[in-house]
Amino acid sequence: MANLERKPADWEDFEAAAKRSIEQHIRNSFVHTYKPVLDDAEYRSFDSMEEYRRWCQENLPAWLGYSRD
Amino acid sequence: MAVFEFRSAQELGRIFEQHGVKYLFFGKSGAILLGYSDTTQDVDLYVDKQKDNREKVVAALLELGFRLTEKEQEEIGRGKVFIQLRNGPFDVDLIFAPDGIERFHDAWKRRVEKHGFPIANIDDIVGSKQAANRRKDRESLPRLLSFREWLRGNK
Repeated sequence: MANLERKPADWEDFEAAAKRSIEQHIRNSFVHTYKPVLDDAEYRSFDSMEEYRRWCQENLPAWLGYSRD
Repeated sequence: MAVFEFRSAQELGRIFEQHGVKYLFFGKSGAILLGYSDTTQDVDLYVDKQKDNREKVVAALLELGFRLTEKEQEEIGRGKVFIQLRNGPFDVDLIFAPDGIERFHDAWKRRVEKHGFPIANIDDIVGSKQAANRRKDRESLPRLLSFREWLRGNK
């Protein structure tokens, strides 16, 4: 019999994640991947989100996806 | 750089509570604690920008092992809006005025407590990503919206 109520494909992932322990879920989710420029300073601060966005736009490689373009 | 683990989250929760810091797990890291399956590197914390809360967060971060200079402590306490920390046991972004949310108090009222952690409501997490409108936000939104739909059906 055909399944008339097909779940979105993502939902299988969410259901699988819900069955894992929170410890395992966090272990799977937080991974360290070096991001050039962004990870090259131990500390940065900005007076406004607009200033932060502008800094990202002007300084980060476009492929990181921090630009609004 | 140590990766953020469950025990890191517990330690953060314990020390922030001890210092009385008002904060919410936010962004993708908040969604992950709500059950979202995806990967991220850093922890986003939406912190109430009241002056006394800023002072508490400085004390809590120092106790957690973040190496903050006097100037950095002063900046966090003074009124910076976005602070990126890569000088501690894990990577943290402190956000005092996220895109798309007017007042911490409102987000606090809508928060979800899960695994003992205060987490921003999925609507606030989605709304902030929509407002930020960066390329990476636009790319991740369909899956995040699908998660929100799934979450609603599983309450």
